[in-house]
Amino acid sequence: MRGPRSIEIWKMGAVNYLEALKLQEKLASDRKTHKIKDTSLSLQHPPTFTLGKRRTVHNVLVSEAELKAMGAELHYTERGGDATFHGPHQAILYPIISLRDIGIGARKYVENLESTMIELASLYGVKARAGETGETGVWVGRRKIGAIGVRISSGVTSHGLAFNIDPDLNYFKHIVPCGIPDKEVTSLQKEVGLGQKLPSEQVIHEQLVSCFTKIFGYTDITWRDKTSVSSDGHE
Amino acid sequence: MALRMWASSTANALRLSTCASKSPAFRAFSTVLDDLKYASSHEWVKHDGHVATIGITDHAQDHLGELVFVELPEPGKEVKQGTGFGAVESVKATSDVNSPISGEVIEINSKLADSPGLINTSPYEEGWMIKVKPSNPSDLANLMGSKDYIKFCEEEDAAAH
Repeated sequence: MRGPRSIEIWKMGAVNYLEALKLQEKLASDRKTHKIKDTSLSLQHPPTFTLGKRRTVHNVLVSEAELKAMGAELHYTERGGDATFHGPHQAILYPIISLRDIGIGARKYVENLESTMIELASLYGVKARAGETGETGVWVGRRKIGAIGVRISSGVTSHGLAFNIDPDLNYFKHIVPCGIPDKEVTSLQKEVGLGQKLPSEQVIHEQLVSCFTKIFGYTDITWRDKTSVSSDGHE
Repeated sequence: MALRMWASSTANALRLSTCASKSPAFRAFSTVLDDLKYASSHEWVKHDGHVATIGITDHAQDHLGELVFVELPEPGKEVKQGTGFGAVESVKATSDVNSPISGEVIEINSKLADSPGLINTSPYEEGWMIKVKPSNPSDLANLMGSKDYIKFCEEEDAAAH
């Protein structure tokens, strides 16, 4: 008989991309050696463009200098997936969990991340769906509302998902988002209608976490307020 | 023997000993080969004395999904039992691949650069990843035989339910 599944959720507010990356590396290492239990970071980033392991630089349409001039950073990562943008008003979840302990592989894990965002969208009456083969992510019609890019090392995950609440969609014009040229990017605000007022972002971040814990079967959830945590995990 | 569509855990008990290339639609069960050794991170090794061939198992490729990218080391690189030598990407997820034994990489499967899906369609044959000159024969003692590996996969999958 399986015991309750436990997870610790770190509410972090706005975090610089590299700081979040260093923190994930430390947490993933600690999770592999069983020093900590499953943990997930809930946060948002300042304007940041990122590329995955395949280094698809051709999908970034402006130079690094131009990106810097618009106040954005560019980072190369080891995650799967293509070019993407992270910024204010986009809810990010970085689960650092052991897939071996819950008996699932990459494919099922990513399906569950898609289901998490689909469920969140449905709370607002927005009918989203998972992408077709080769188009991992969450779509409303031909418009992408949620992106996924994951790294799995010794069965432990890092990076994760990004759900567009109401980011400045103009930033996405500077990349071919996720390497798919002829589809749009959208947001929850755009899909419910620009006249509709959404609840505070804190509420939406919490709802995203609740959808995640429900889909992954976590029953023992601890919330930690980490809004002033540095990359080494100390406050 | 007639091939039937079975769920993975039931079919694994059959321990089918051939793995001719089959079309993806037909693969409703995970194959495990008797003459290979297996690591708990789902890699296999075929030891031929001076050369060992390494890849990921049918169970692994099934749980990963369709591969779009494979990263392999350069020949000459040292690999160590239990540590990463490369990575694969599927469904926007990169997964590290660990070496089941220690040794020196002598050959890599260059077909995987253009055809990463060979690992999905033929994980034990055309989808081999690296060939290694083994440096430590006792490494094999730390690995599982086919019977133990089947049981291991069943237990791991059962954790999901």
